[in-house]
Amino acid sequence: MFHLIVSALDSFVSTVQTLLYVNLVQPLLFRFGLMGYDEDTYDSLYWVIVGVLEVLAMYALLRPLEALRPVERWDDRKAVRVDVLYTWIAKLGILNLFFFFALQPFFDAVQGWLRLRDISNINFDNLWPGVTTQPLVTFLMYLLVLDFAGYWYHRGQHRIGIWWELHAVHHSQRQMSLWTDDRNHLLDDLLQACFFAAIALVIGVPPAQYVVLVALTNLAQSVQHANIRLHFGWLGERLLVSPTFHRRHHAIGYGHEGLKYGCNFGVVLPWWDMLFGSASWSRVMEPTGIRDQLEGNDYGQGFWAQHWLALVRIARRLARRRAPAKDAAAI
Amino acid sequence: MANSVSNNLMLVDPKTGQVQRWVENIEDPYQIGFSPDHKWLVTTGLRLNRLDIYHYDGHNMTLAGRLPLAVMPSHMAFSNDSKTVFVTLQVSGELAAVDLATQQVKWKMKVGKVPAGLWMTPGDKYLLIGMTGADYVAVVDWRNQKVVKTIQTGKGAHNFRSLADGRHVAVSNRVASTISIIDEESLTNVGDITGLMPGPDDMELSADKRYLWVTFRFAKHIGIIDLTTRKLIQTIAVGRSPHGIYFFDRAPVTAPNGA
Repeated sequence: MFHLIVSALDSFVSTVQTLLYVNLVQPLLFRFGLMGYDEDTYDSLYWVIVGVLEVLAMYALLRPLEALRPVERWDDRKAVRVDVLYTWIAKLGILNLFFFFALQPFFDAVQGWLRLRDISNINFDNLWPGVTTQPLVTFLMYLLVLDFAGYWYHRGQHRIGIWWELHAVHHSQRQMSLWTDDRNHLLDDLLQACFFAAIALVIGVPPAQYVVLVALTNLAQSVQHANIRLHFGWLGERLLVSPTFHRRHHAIGYGHEGLKYGCNFGVVLPWWDMLFGSASWSRVMEPTGIRDQLEGNDYGQGFWAQHWLALVRIARRLARRRAPAKDAAAI
Repeated sequence: MANSVSNNLMLVDPKTGQVQRWVENIEDPYQIGFSPDHKWLVTTGLRLNRLDIYHYDGHNMTLAGRLPLAVMPSHMAFSNDSKTVFVTLQVSGELAAVDLATQQVKWKMKVGKVPAGLWMTPGDKYLLIGMTGADYVAVVDWRNQKVVKTIQTGKGAHNFRSLADGRHVAVSNRVASTISIIDEESLTNVGDITGLMPGPDDMELSADKRYLWVTFRFAKHIGIIDLTTRKLIQTIAVGRSPHGIYFFDRAPVTAPNGA
């Protein structure tokens, strides 16, 4: 049944991919002398189309639930609108495009340099031929490793002051919704892309072909941020990060202070929080945001203001060299 | 079979489809090719901008040398004496000649926009190169490193397959979605096959030389063309982005004269 649905979706996306590529994209590549990138562009179109479908699906699924069972009732959704822009930038692959041209050549050069010196990576697919060559097994291995890496990246975002100021763009949303997952400072997105590209040098290239499963993890993260009163039950909460679990992380005074500079850092799996003692199972719904917003500190309303103010805060931290608040370490 | 993301080769029994063995640590093998004497295996690292050359003894592949080769080495052809491999560099628009014994680049020359597939004409006289960023095949006098002629085909001239009749070679035009038939003696386009699905890429010829099979890179299908009528007679749905195509019971790679 699942296979049939996936197959039908794949057919649909591939058909749209062919039509878009042949009629619109390839003529442009040819016209502007970019045919050297034709194969990569064709492949990446699949992701762009899936990105659009992800946005439509998450809206169709989650917006009604936000209306029916909200955690918070808002007078208006003005503060949410900027997150819609962040989401389209991410899901249309604009960030990936930038990364591909700006940074991927560097990482490819590093990989080439390593291999010219016979320094090889760990090839997950062939660790146990017959078992690890099964697509689902390989995907789960990558999910575990990358989710583990994502957990520690997130811990870093909360621990290191100047990094926190970038991540604060994400946490400054006081009306957290299904759109908030992709609300990130572009520099932080870039850093994250470099982080995972570096990991790919060690463990091999992540399985970009597992589009459906990656789309599902993106959807999971949209669910986590949605303004929906929802928990997964005692067992479910310990298997997958839920909206309740993640809202705790965004909670003022609870989510990003304390010895570990917060709690519930897990991306898709709560297991690393459980393992490293950073899990909070409290189901109390708290307001989201950053404590100093209550004291009037402005993190910006618009896209560019949010980006600029992060840089201003970083400059202040570097000038002061001491922690202005309890949200992260000094520098 | 080369797996360019998994960085390995899969050796498969072509009659049964059974995987016989894996060869690991073959980095980024976008294209692979054996020299005519089967003593060399060459792989182009499209993403890593380099060429890897291996000794082949009929079973084992041992690395002879890796050399940086930018930008975007993609396709290759060999001189019939197995001394030289010619490689197209897609993004820099060049042709490189590499000495197999020393694994050194002998020379590079500019050929045009996005050179891709290569074909050596009989007697190693000329190299034909599919210009995927243009609408022609370049005819290269490689001994003198000169483009001596262009043969108009269709936009996105890409890859070649001999029709094994001693005279003609087919070239796929991936943007125009046509296939042109080139006469290797007169170096002219003697006809196009149209009415195809998007993105004809690699081609294979049936043992009786009557049917040309082609992968449609952008359409998830392969096609079968009847060469007597030059019409597409059947398509078969396959997986995403079909690329290379091979069957064990095929016409020879070239005719006896090398065409």
